[in-house]
Amino acid sequence: MGKGFKSITYWNRKIHIYTGLFLLWFIWLFSVSGLLLNHGKWKFAGFWDQRKLSVKVFTVNIPAGLDSASLINVIMEQTKISGEVSAVKLSNDSIDFRVSIPGHERNLHIDLKKGSCTSKEIEFNWWGKIRTLHTFNGINKTRLDEGPNWIFTRIWQYSMDAIATGLIILCVSSWITWFKSKKSFLPGIIVLITGFAIAIYFVFLIKIF
Amino acid sequence: MTPFRTVIRNLHILTGLFISPFILIYSFGVLTFNNEGLLNRLSPVKRLPEIKTKLDTIPYGETDLAVAKAVCKKLDIIGEVDFISRWKGHLSFPVNKPGLRTIININTINDSVSVSREQLGSLRAMSYLHQMPGPHNENIRGNSTFLKFWRVMSNAVGYFLLFLATSGVLIWLLLKSERKMGVFVLILGSVTLTCLILLILNS
Repeated sequence: MGKGFKSITYWNRKIHIYTGLFLLWFIWLFSVSGLLLNHGKWKFAGFWDQRKLSVKVFTVNIPAGLDSASLINVIMEQTKISGEVSAVKLSNDSIDFRVSIPGHERNLHIDLKKGSCTSKEIEFNWWGKIRTLHTFNGINKTRLDEGPNWIFTRIWQYSMDAIATGLIILCVSSWITWFKSKKSFLPGIIVLITGFAIAIYFVFLIKIF
Repeated sequence: MTPFRTVIRNLHILTGLFISPFILIYSFGVLTFNNEGLLNRLSPVKRLPEIKTKLDTIPYGETDLAVAKAVCKKLDIIGEVDFISRWKGHLSFPVNKPGLRTIININTINDSVSVSREQLGSLRAMSYLHQMPGPHNENIRGNSTFLKFWRVMSNAVGYFLLFLATSGVLIWLLLKSERKMGVFVLILGSVTLTCLILLILNS
């Protein structure tokens, strides 16, 4: 029993240290970008005023008889543009859609009769890119079941899920480490209970009161 | 143990313990937000019956937010006014609390009001808290007491996480036994993040 418990302590400590070290830069990235999202007025991290706007025109070959999804793929291949596709609007003689990667948004208008593609582009600086990385998950609020349509959005979304799971592991392992070490026990239990009380109020009780 | 190490260690433990419940909120919030389709299948949003009522007068104020807050007060509804839509003869706004969304629609011609409510559940409550206060509707965000407090907590979590990550590294640096493997894992994490960002930004 004692040996088994010792080994749990041993592995738990290792898990805490190595999970924390692996996630170190991810934690920095998401903490900083989270603070940036909460503080849009921070001057040093301004990005909107410094955005670069550009318009590019391409000639595209429009094959006949394709559905909108296949047509978008063909156009993206021809224009060598990749990213998360959203906001698709189709009419008889044109198709409009948006292709996004963090910090770079392209709004494409395809004239199906003329075979031309106009890309209106917005590019952000590094602050803008960091901000957008925080929220870049390809979730379409009107089509929640579909998920991202670009492989790298999906990979980034899975990474965010993995980081969240890693943080949960860090929390649980920290409780075990603290409980076992018996150091700072009384102040520890006070701050833990305070934290939980506030969190429980916000998640479970606030809707009642 | 040196006094510096003791202080850093104690601060790391106490800060970590205090914000651990909030990290859980943020983590489950991410999992919920990224997998809302799955959540909708497992636990759909529960819509409560719509309530229709009539106000004696619409308490018009200087701003749409003032009107919305006054209507909320008359209807005894507490929460954060998310945004306000005004169109011909109508004023509509959602009032949010974590886990409960109330949508108020006012007909400004005949002073009638419809109130619809959605019970979102605890996971969506965490997702909502994760997104708040956020970058949107900055001019009206924080119009409720709970969100003013949550804004402070949300920023505190961000700063405390930065402190925890830094103090964690300092504590690890003083642990000779974990150094070799630790460096390997740290490099592995850095390379993974760098590759991911380069792949996404340069595709």
